[in-house]
Amino acid sequence: MLVLLAAIFLLHIACICLLLAATIHNAWWMTDSMSTDIWSRWILIGGNWNYTEIPAHYPKEYLQAVQASSVLACIFCILGLFVFVAQLYTLPKGKRFLFTGAFQLLAWLCIMIAASIYTDIFHKDKEQGWYGASFILAWISVCLTFISCITYFVLRKKTA
Amino acid sequence: MLSVLALTSVVLLGIASQITAIVVYTSWERHALVGSDVRLSCSFFSWQWTSPDVTFSWQYRPDGAKEGISIFHYGGGAAYVDNKGPFRDRLEFVGNPSRRDGSILIKNLDFSDNGTFTCDAKNPPDIVGRPSSVRLLVFEKVPVQAGVVTGAIIGVVLGLLILIVAIYYLMRFLVARRVFSLSMSKHGKKGKGKEGSQQKQAGPLK
Repeated sequence: MLVLLAAIFLLHIACICLLLAATIHNAWWMTDSMSTDIWSRWILIGGNWNYTEIPAHYPKEYLQAVQASSVLACIFCILGLFVFVAQLYTLPKGKRFLFTGAFQLLAWLCIMIAASIYTDIFHKDKEQGWYGASFILAWISVCLTFISCITYFVLRKKTA
Repeated sequence: MLSVLALTSVVLLGIASQITAIVVYTSWERHALVGSDVRLSCSFFSWQWTSPDVTFSWQYRPDGAKEGISIFHYGGGAAYVDNKGPFRDRLEFVGNPSRRDGSILIKNLDFSDNGTFTCDAKNPPDIVGRPSSVRLLVFEKVPVQAGVVTGAIIGVVLGLLILIVAIYYLMRFLVARRVFSLSMSKHGKKGKGKEGSQQKQAGPLK
């Protein structure tokens, strides 16, 4: 029982870590000398990485949507962790962790919106480069938050 | 004991006023629309009392120029504004020197007013200090700062969520208090068991 609890807790923490890494690290799209999105662009000039602005031709509204929804996903996931701990103590026996599941559902929705918009809108013209670590982490978080959400909706509290 | 403390603090203050210099404060950057007025504020911090010989000087250096020109001076109780340079008839002193405020008002801005304004304040005998600069940017249309829209989206979504949760709990509270007789009160709530005693029927458990 305790092992299951620890596993679920660890899954939630893993979600938070992946979400934070995907949101904060500017590496959604990379080339040999550039690591970019969603906040700024790092360009390798003469052996040094320089911090520059995202170019103006990026569709502004979509970029702001990706930024806002990835930050919201982080917020909901972190709040969900606290709600989970609170519900561990206050939930009566036999009830489900619905409130926590709701937060994880919102986090899943937000990060899915962010990852989908980014995949569909940005870097569509066959430019050189590849999807970076943050992009991959964002999609992995989509899966993990979904699994976490389903777990909370199904799990019942066994001991009082 | 208290007198020793007071004496020590007075001595330290006396020493400090010799060591620390005057510190001049202005904004870092000001954005303004063409044709509007902008108030450039300047204040200072000094350990000495505000002297009647306090002076404020403003200098203007256009973008790309190497040298600046003097456009304003307050000294000896009188303010002298620019009457020959680019700001003649457009500059006004709106500060209060006795309150350590040396702000100026520039009216009817133009694109040629882009540049750096430097304020230098002196409070005799405290005269050692660095002047402070404020950059003026004149726009046709004031741009939205980076991140404001993103922050607004986040704030609105969180606010809506809090509102929805608050309304939900309010409705539950009101239904439980028999203020409303909604159809919601007929099925049981899968709640945390707080108002469970009010429901007569068992809730549907999946």
